[in-house]
Amino acid sequence: MAVPDFAVSIESLNKLFPPIRTGWRSFLQPFEPASFPALQDVSFSVREGESVALLGANGAGKSTLLRILSTLLLPTSGQAAVAGYDTVQSAHDVRHTLGFHAGSDLGFYGRLTGRENLRFFGRLNHLSAAVARHRIEEFSARFELYGALDRQVRTLSSGTIQRLSLARALLHSPRVLLLDEPTRSLDAIAATTFRHFLKSELLRRGSTTLLFASHSLSEIELLADRVAVLNQGRLIALDSPSSLKRETSSATLEEAFFRLAGHSHDFSAEKAQS
Amino acid sequence: MTFLVQLWLFFRRDLLIAKSYRSPFVMEILQALFGTAMFYYVARFVDSPELRQSLPQSGGYFAFSLIGFVFLDYMNAALDAFDRSLEEARDSGTLEHLLVTQTSLPAMLAGSALYPFAVTTLRIAVYLAWGALFFGFPLRSANWLAVLAVVLVSLLAFSGLGILSAAYLLLFKRGNPAKWLVIGISSVVGGMLFPVSILPDWLQILARLNPITYALDAMRAALLGSARVQDLLKPIAILLCFAAVLLPSSMLAFAAALGRTKSTGTLAHR
Repeated sequence: MAVPDFAVSIESLNKLFPPIRTGWRSFLQPFEPASFPALQDVSFSVREGESVALLGANGAGKSTLLRILSTLLLPTSGQAAVAGYDTVQSAHDVRHTLGFHAGSDLGFYGRLTGRENLRFFGRLNHLSAAVARHRIEEFSARFELYGALDRQVRTLSSGTIQRLSLARALLHSPRVLLLDEPTRSLDAIAATTFRHFLKSELLRRGSTTLLFASHSLSEIELLADRVAVLNQGRLIALDSPSSLKRETSSATLEEAFFRLAGHSHDFSAEKAQS
Repeated sequence: MTFLVQLWLFFRRDLLIAKSYRSPFVMEILQALFGTAMFYYVARFVDSPELRQSLPQSGGYFAFSLIGFVFLDYMNAALDAFDRSLEEARDSGTLEHLLVTQTSLPAMLAGSALYPFAVTTLRIAVYLAWGALFFGFPLRSANWLAVLAVVLVSLLAFSGLGILSAAYLLLFKRGNPAKWLVIGISSVVGGMLFPVSILPDWLQILARLNPITYALDAMRAALLGSARVQDLLKPIAILLCFAAVLLPSSMLAFAAALGRTKSTGTLAHR
């Protein structure tokens, strides 16, 4: 399925999860019927080179959507495509085009050094040994990973592992970058440096499409061309940050999000206080 | 990137992880010496002209039982390698990151088993070397080409069972009880410590349904009876038949289990 205009396209996507069973019932888990809706009839597209943020409360479906796009989850119904490839029918082609950051500080071999981990994953993504070596050096300088490269990952801090994970997602120069809370464990300086890299280098070149989930509204305002607001698995708004604010008559994106999600909060009182 | 390069990457990963533990390989070598000595003295205790007559090859009960014991290690390794590797990947969170790389499922599975198989081969070589050095194990009569052929086809046949076990683990999140049943049955009817011919008829039928029986027969013939590859065509063909049935069906089962966990969202669950 070739959809050249869109880097990511999602059509009527639904995802239901089965209830989680414990004890002896866990043996029945694989056969449990799916009943809990995580995504409901979600449709939108992301253009080549565009940056779209997924915004929503915990459990809104942001990570579920990113996992479906990264081929780690199968949708219950509907279609999702990355770089024109269906995430179910052409999963291998999808993986060829994407870089994925899962947002946790797991996902590395603790007994291997940062460099050994990056080289392993880079080479599995078809980088030659020489290119992998060069890129590792490049990202080490960019993300200040030098100290971490030759230490076992189990001895590194959460923030450093997070930076390693971001480097891994970018190492093979993917066309589509899926980032789940990319700056969650980063300190203020590392987070700013990373956002600056995304904004001024990666997105400016226009060759990489970014879809990211974040709870940081300043990050979203800085990076996102458009914001997809999810609420209880449904897409309730999709527009630029400024349009969202205008349409909801809000002064800030936070206020716009609260209004869209139907939460009540007295922003005027807060404003008056400040 | 070729399949072989991907296999090498997985092998290198496991080698580096093993190296990082600096585990005393010397201790394993010594343990093998004690194990070999134990088999030697048990054999001395039970060996008799009647017993030697009932064994298919020369070398006595010591050579017979040592081969049975160490070769069952291959079956253990094959049954363990895939689900242990899967369990470690799941627990460390690397499973999802492996699955978003451009690596095929067969490369991932084969690559994960390569290092455990290599270590098992090394361990078996150490057992046989101790046996030859100190206890008169007749290594001179071995046909090494035939040994290699038997090892390769046996690993293929056993791997099918190992991948089935990994599919079970992926789906049910716990160790596969059938794995221990297979190992238990193989210990009893596979001909590890006594010839299958002394078993009752119905157990001999069970033995003939188990690849370890053919693997052990062929291995003993190659190591002790100087059998050449062409002499072992029948057991090799049978082992290839096991592999031809078990490998594709286990790969299908694994792919189905993976699809199911991707559907239920339990891929990373423990």
